[in-house]
Amino acid sequence: MFARLNRKPPPAMTLEGVLGPNGRLDRADAIAVDAPGALACAEDGRLLVSSGCRVLTLARWGETPAPWAELPAPVTALAVSPGGRVAIGLAGGGLSVRDAAGRSLLGWAPPVDLVSIVDCLFLSEEEIALVDCGYGAGQDVLSRAPWEEAARGRVVALTRDGGATTLRADLHCPMGLCRDAEGGLVVSELERARLLGLDGVVRRAGFPGYLGRVRPMGTGYLLACLARRDPLIEFLKTETAFIAEMKATIDPHYWISPRANPEFSHDFPIELGATRLFGEVKPWAPSFSYGLVIELDAAMMPVASAHSRANGYRHAVTDAIPWNGDLIAVSTGSAELLNLGPEKVGP
Amino acid sequence: MSVRFDFDSLPKQRIPRFVLSPRRILADVLSRGWVESAIPFLALLCVIIGVLATTQGYFDAANLRNLAQYSGDGGLVVLALLIVVAVGGIDLSVGSNFAMSAFVALYCFHILGLPVPMVLAASLLAGAAVGVVNGTLAGLIGCGALLTTLATMIATRGLFTLASQAKLVEISTSARIDAVWDWIGFERFLTMPVGFWVLLTVAICVFFMFRQSRFGWHVLAVGGNRKAARHGGIQVKLTILLAYILGGTIVGLAGFMFAARQNSIGADTGIGMEFFVLTALVVGLGGFVPGRGAVVPVLIGFATIYILNNAMINAGFRGDFVQLAMGAIIILILAIDVKFRKHRHRLLASTYLDPARFSLDPVRGVEGFMPDEIEAKLRSAEILAAGKIDGPEDVILDAEDRLYCGTRDGRILRFDPPDYSEVAVHARIGGRPLGLAFDREGRLVTCVAGMGLLRVGPDGAVELLADQTDRGLLSVQDDSTIRMADDLDIAPDGTIYFTDATKRYDMENWGLDLLEGRPNGRLLGFDSRTGRTRTVRDHLVFPNGVCVTHDGKYLLVASTWACSILIFDLADMSAPPRVLVSGLPGYPDNINRASDGGYWIALAGMRNPVMDRAMRHPGLRRRMARRVPPTNWLFGNLNIGGVLKIDAAGRIVDALWDAPDGPLYMITSMREHRGALYLGGVTNDKIGRYALTGADPGWTGTDSYWGREG
Repeated sequence: MFARLNRKPPPAMTLEGVLGPNGRLDRADAIAVDAPGALACAEDGRLLVSSGCRVLTLARWGETPAPWAELPAPVTALAVSPGGRVAIGLAGGGLSVRDAAGRSLLGWAPPVDLVSIVDCLFLSEEEIALVDCGYGAGQDVLSRAPWEEAARGRVVALTRDGGATTLRADLHCPMGLCRDAEGGLVVSELERARLLGLDGVVRRAGFPGYLGRVRPMGTGYLLACLARRDPLIEFLKTETAFIAEMKATIDPHYWISPRANPEFSHDFPIELGATRLFGEVKPWAPSFSYGLVIELDAAMMPVASAHSRANGYRHAVTDAIPWNGDLIAVSTGSAELLNLGPEKVGP
Repeated sequence: MSVRFDFDSLPKQRIPRFVLSPRRILADVLSRGWVESAIPFLALLCVIIGVLATTQGYFDAANLRNLAQYSGDGGLVVLALLIVVAVGGIDLSVGSNFAMSAFVALYCFHILGLPVPMVLAASLLAGAAVGVVNGTLAGLIGCGALLTTLATMIATRGLFTLASQAKLVEISTSARIDAVWDWIGFERFLTMPVGFWVLLTVAICVFFMFRQSRFGWHVLAVGGNRKAARHGGIQVKLTILLAYILGGTIVGLAGFMFAARQNSIGADTGIGMEFFVLTALVVGLGGFVPGRGAVVPVLIGFATIYILNNAMINAGFRGDFVQLAMGAIIILILAIDVKFRKHRHRLLASTYLDPARFSLDPVRGVEGFMPDEIEAKLRSAEILAAGKIDGPEDVILDAEDRLYCGTRDGRILRFDPPDYSEVAVHARIGGRPLGLAFDREGRLVTCVAGMGLLRVGPDGAVELLADQTDRGLLSVQDDSTIRMADDLDIAPDGTIYFTDATKRYDMENWGLDLLEGRPNGRLLGFDSRTGRTRTVRDHLVFPNGVCVTHDGKYLLVASTWACSILIFDLADMSAPPRVLVSGLPGYPDNINRASDGGYWIALAGMRNPVMDRAMRHPGLRRRMARRVPPTNWLFGNLNIGGVLKIDAAGRIVDALWDAPDGPLYMITSMREHRGALYLGGVTNDKIGRYALTGADPGWTGTDSYWGREG
């Protein structure tokens, strides 16, 4: 009986209290960036932001981002080493490591069976950890991850000479990697909505969203969420026959799933409460896309949050970092770089 | 009118003759009033079965007659108490009153030697006198029913003891014999004792009193909510007084019956009767419930208690054991009943939604017309009356170019040309006005959800045409009331054809009808000459828009969830309809004539592959309705809509869409008028006007229907 109690998943957090709705993302200052994805803070203090196949750079908020590097494939991850090296993960599992001036460094050939690099982190100047979510370039992670049980994700440590060690396999769609205060590695799992230490210990579970990257900030962390969890999708996970039929007969683009974008389209389903009244979507309407950044304390407990609700469009936040004393986030739903104002951890 | 169609070559639409579903029958039964007494009835059944199994010959004719003979007066007292409880009071003095009335009867018969009718009258008067005292104190003065009747119980008992001790010997030594007296006491009429027939007659009278009479309704109103009854103009105090007097009189009758049968009284006559009767009442009503005149359940409760008690005593159990067992059994019955009542609504709510497998035709005939394939023409539409209206489900224009629409707050609004910016209230209806049409005389006929079919004169006078139709065969629930009148059109002979979109859901919950996916709607016809409404065709899938074809020979009916347009032959409405269009890309709402001989179809929402797939999984929808909050239920996309144009043969020839996030999104109606298309939406607060290219600039709907002079 106790064993059964222990196996029960912890109750999911609701959007109340410190996670209660607000308009912080909608009110934030924004810079439009074409197809943004990842953020990193360079050694000289400039902000690096990925934009499609390019990496842009920004010295001060308000400037127009300037090109910093051009790559052969869309950029999916960015990381900066203490020594200033910049790692750039590419769609399809490619990796490019550059010095602070943007010159390519030789070596760093990732294993050929790596499907994707959704996040990376320098373990030292000579070793980098790569996060492979298990979904390739053509596969929409948000559409598929809720409906697949297979834990295909992994974290691989790569040295400059090409030596690769799998730090942990069998992860369910990991999306982000960061170090905790003790120096351990923690991954965020998109669909499992939890932060998991690579030692296998669940640090915190039950987050109310589909998790993006997790980044350290002060003594706490910043957790970007791609969408909010939806009771309908949670329910449909128990409807295996229907889901199997949906996966077999319908293009993934039209699946019922969390989305990156609040767009209206005639061939997407909606939820009953999302019907427009007088042409407007109510902020409290259910929505498959949502903007949410959660600030966590040192124990990974939420202490504050920033939202863009159903009537907003700054949805699908993939990354959020502190930069120059401000809190910077990337909204892929609106293709914008957002400045949430002075960083703070704690209420 | 260059293209035509051949009605007979169109595919027939299969329409079920009836919908049979165990879940629906359960839900319908649970929503009936009589299911309230299901547990007392089952308890009686259990008792009967129990007695049958343990006692031989209990239900023999002789014993049944015996039971009927002795139960008559108890049953009468239960009915008396029911009347008092229904008015919101209680009467503890029934036992004493019963004994006193019996004494009065015996005194009048044996000592005064009055004829039997006079004896009866005296007993009734004696009973009524106690009722007058109770009613005056508890009803008029307001002393509280419990206290008052406790006092009268003690006082009457004292009076009875004094009187009976003084006259008992005299009564028992009287030698008077009377044929009528003995007939009442011992004889049978149609094989049953007279007492039984008296009980039956009184029960029927009380039943019809509560059902049909003004006084009975007043009693229930006062018991249900005294304050509301007073506000409703009912004389509350008088009603309470009369209820006590009526109750007392019935007790008097019971006392008379007892006296005629026993021909004697004892010191213990009527002692404990109030509690026995109260127990029967509580078992029958499932608690102490004022404002319910449930005669049959109360008698069922009485029969349960009576048979149980009688059978146990007959079986030779000790009296104290019988009391203990009776108490335990009654608590059990009441506990089950209370639980059942408490959970009945929950059970009903969880069984009401009754999804069925529903396969839609694949989308066809719109290649090249979908929103992602052609430009969004409605981007250029002009927006009228923005923010001034709430939900114009239908729009219509008259010969003077005035624009009318219904709104969510139950009004019909009018806008005057040329700029249509000033709102005037044309009529206040209430309900939810949906479809609109002008008749030959220029009066506006409208379908109002929650009300029925109504007509509005040019002066704004509102007239109800129909709110009921024939009751469907094989329906547990009375479905004769028109629940969601949706759209109408008027045939050349003046018959108004209109749709009752769903018989199972209200305007607020019409979306649930999609999740059910059953043919819950019907097409009705109102004959303006006879004023009669009849069901033309039952069991249609959310019939919505109605349109008489240009030649006046056929009727088009949009079937919303089936994404199809049905066509009926007006010359032979009993023939099954044919399918003119199927596989529409969205959910069709209203359908109206176009100037070139074709038709406009409003799409209230768009289909999508996931929802179409979910329609084939009834279990999924049922579980979703139970486990997911309504706001998160999977639904068709109502955030995008448009207008399709079909030619007279049903081929889609054009499509009008707004931008995906544009202001014209859930289009439920459109009217062509002088070269422009006016667009309404049931959840919108504006009307769109789209200038049509190549349309006849002089064409109007009223001309098309009723000619230039109309």
